[in-house]
Amino acid sequence: MSPPLLVWLAGGALLLGAGFLTTVLPRRRSRERERRVAWSAARAAIDSASVSRDATAERVPEAERLLTRAELIAAERGGPAAARAAADYARRADQLWQAHG
Amino acid sequence: MRRLIPNHVDLLRWALLGVAALVLVVFLLAQRQSVDVSYGQSPAPSTRIEEGAAGELSDATVPSTDEMTALVTADPVVRLPGAIAHWDEQRVREAIGDHDTRILVAPPGLDEAARKRVREVGNATVRVIGTEVSGGAYQAGADTLPGWRAQFATGDVTDQLVTLIARLRKVPAPPDRDDLRWREPSGPELAAVVADLRSDGLHVGAGATLSRVPEAAHTAFPDGAWYVVLPGQPYGEPLPRYGPALTRLAPDRPIVVMYGGWIEYHGPAATDFADLAGASFYTRFADRLSRYDYPQQNVLGAYLHQVTDIRYAGLFDRPLPYRPFDPLRVALPALPWIFAACVAAFLALSVRSLRRSLGGPGDPRRGGSPARLAGLTTLAVEVSLLTDARSNPALTRGIGKLQAARAALDEGLPEPHVRTLLDEAAAELDDTALVVGIASYRPDQYLQGRLS
Repeated sequence: MSPPLLVWLAGGALLLGAGFLTTVLPRRRSRERERRVAWSAARAAIDSASVSRDATAERVPEAERLLTRAELIAAERGGPAAARAAADYARRADQLWQAHG
Repeated sequence: MRRLIPNHVDLLRWALLGVAALVLVVFLLAQRQSVDVSYGQSPAPSTRIEEGAAGELSDATVPSTDEMTALVTADPVVRLPGAIAHWDEQRVREAIGDHDTRILVAPPGLDEAARKRVREVGNATVRVIGTEVSGGAYQAGADTLPGWRAQFATGDVTDQLVTLIARLRKVPAPPDRDDLRWREPSGPELAAVVADLRSDGLHVGAGATLSRVPEAAHTAFPDGAWYVVLPGQPYGEPLPRYGPALTRLAPDRPIVVMYGGWIEYHGPAATDFADLAGASFYTRFADRLSRYDYPQQNVLGAYLHQVTDIRYAGLFDRPLPYRPFDPLRVALPALPWIFAACVAAFLALSVRSLRRSLGGPGDPRRGGSPARLAGLTTLAVEVSLLTDARSNPALTRGIGKLQAARAALDEGLPEPHVRTLLDEAAAELDDTALVVGIASYRPDQYLQGRLS
């Protein structure tokens, strides 16, 4: 193999590798960030709902069921979709408790 | 300016990638060039000559196989009409001795079917088609320049016949003999030829099958040459030796003399060139020339193509024709390095852009979120001194949101998320302030008061 041929092959491989990395790394990072944002929001919503539950005198079974489901989802961890579902349940539970409070 | 520079860098990065791809495509397309290469790009055609396309078939025909068999039975030597082969009766008779050897002589330029009929004549010991001599399983052909000269200039097949008959009798063949005789051309003959040559460079003898100099002459002899074309010469008579006579008249001029199917070169570099051109041409074409009846026009054309090939092979230090400047040919060796440079630059810029997009927790100046967080935290602490049981949950929720916002800020999560959390915390604190009943503790007013 002559040096110029090696240049073509190595250059082509490097170009492919660089294109792959510049596409994959930022995408992976943004996905990770999205996941963390979703879980941050979910945890905040669950905390709020717990506070509301503790402050409400009467029991609201519907809200307790929603919060339990949110906490179950949170306990299993998961992707952004799971986090958004947990946040949604927690927020609805929070609203129910605040309405009764 | 800060936003413009990365844009330019990105543009440069993609431009480099485009250049690299272009160079790669040019390189790949240029690979086709190496497929069709000949020494010095000789313009002589390399396609093969099709059967019958070059006028090699004559109008001659032969009788049926049975008729020819009857003729051969009646006579030991049968010459069919149109036959051109001759031989030295004495030498052939000596070679035959007292064996019963019968010879059938057919004209040249027969088509495949007619040649098959001739081959099927079973009682003919030796068959001569044109000047191609064959018999039994053997075929005899000349392999020296004098042999080809006798065969193609005068139709002399004595050596071939003697060799073949000796082989058939399984006795050693006598050595070849060059019986061709030359004579100096007479004064009027030479004068007529020279007059023709001086006017248009071509002399065509009566009976020659050539009308004009072939196209290939331009590449074979770019500086012009003299062509003397004579028909096939009668067997047994001396040939007029035009070559040396004309060379004496014009020493610097290439001279091509043609006797029937035999072509000679005289003139500059003749000692090196004539034998090489003749040997390479007749080695390649003697088979076809002996079997067929090509017009001299085509024979000379093929010879001139051969001369062109020899000239372009660079054997004689003649200058090659000018080759135009070809930027691709000049740039080709540099292409890999251009490509490599583009790749390296693209890689460097990629690393840069990657580092920018992956770099640190981001812009340190995050649109006032830390200040707002600090303000709201202070507000929560102040309000917490005044709370009662009813407003407590809203304050606790607000503090929880503030903690979440702080955690998000520390983790470097995106600004919109932090802002959403702070908005929720502010809403909770707003509720708290409403319950407490102190308007200045509403977050909007409180923060404005802090700022002023």
